[in-house]
Amino acid sequence: MIIERLDPSRIRVGMAGTSRDDLLRELGTALVEGGLCKESYPEALVGREAQSPTGIDMDGFGIAIPHTDVSHVLSPGIAVGIPASPVRFTAMGTDDEFVDARIVCALAIDDPGAHLDFIEALLAVLRDRATLESLAAAGTAGEVMDIIRAKEEAAS
Amino acid sequence: MKKRVIVACGGAVATSTVAANKVAELCAESGVDIEIVQCRVSEISSHADGAVLIVATSKVSKDYGIPFVSGMPFISGVGVDKARQAILDALKSE
Repeated sequence: MIIERLDPSRIRVGMAGTSRDDLLRELGTALVEGGLCKESYPEALVGREAQSPTGIDMDGFGIAIPHTDVSHVLSPGIAVGIPASPVRFTAMGTDDEFVDARIVCALAIDDPGAHLDFIEALLAVLRDRATLESLAAAGTAGEVMDIIRAKEEAAS
Repeated sequence: MKKRVIVACGGAVATSTVAANKVAELCAESGVDIEIVQCRVSEISSHADGAVLIVATSKVSKDYGIPFVSGMPFISGVGVDKARQAILDALKSE
């Protein structure tokens, strides 16, 4: 369940006028302030995105799952950003295709093998179009929590 | 003998872990004996010797002379059956 790794303080809705990198910094800072990541995490996130992009076309719905090296992470978690208007990310696995992300989930992962369930659980939530549309329309962090909780409870 | 499959992504953190797990499941179900090496795309060359297939969620611009299958379907959930078939085909033709 990813709901256990979420906290309203690490959910930003209606992020306005932010560039991709500023959005990454803001989500990264939320993870630092939550005690999940080291001070170095936000800039590492920005640098890693430029090198290994994380935009994903979820069957026509753009998202991104930025993350960076385990050395910047203290404990596993996630920060969610819903930009007011889509933010362009390069598509994962390419350097010349783009995704206009409507939901951005920054991942804090310190042990990939041990956190496979967490990554899979997040992808299971994000692979559902109706859930993505609801999340993109959410007006508050509480709503984001409710949508994810409902989706995970329905699936379990 | 086990066939070596390289599963790579940008940082060997998240997406290659997901893809490696899917490839392992697929091969176990299909009775194909493989050994998975998970690494960064930048490290493929040091593991390519003896490998028969590369599955990656990041761009691989170099040709290593062995088949390449994108691991993105295992992330997005779109085109999974096709990717599974491509992997099995590549392993069977070896």
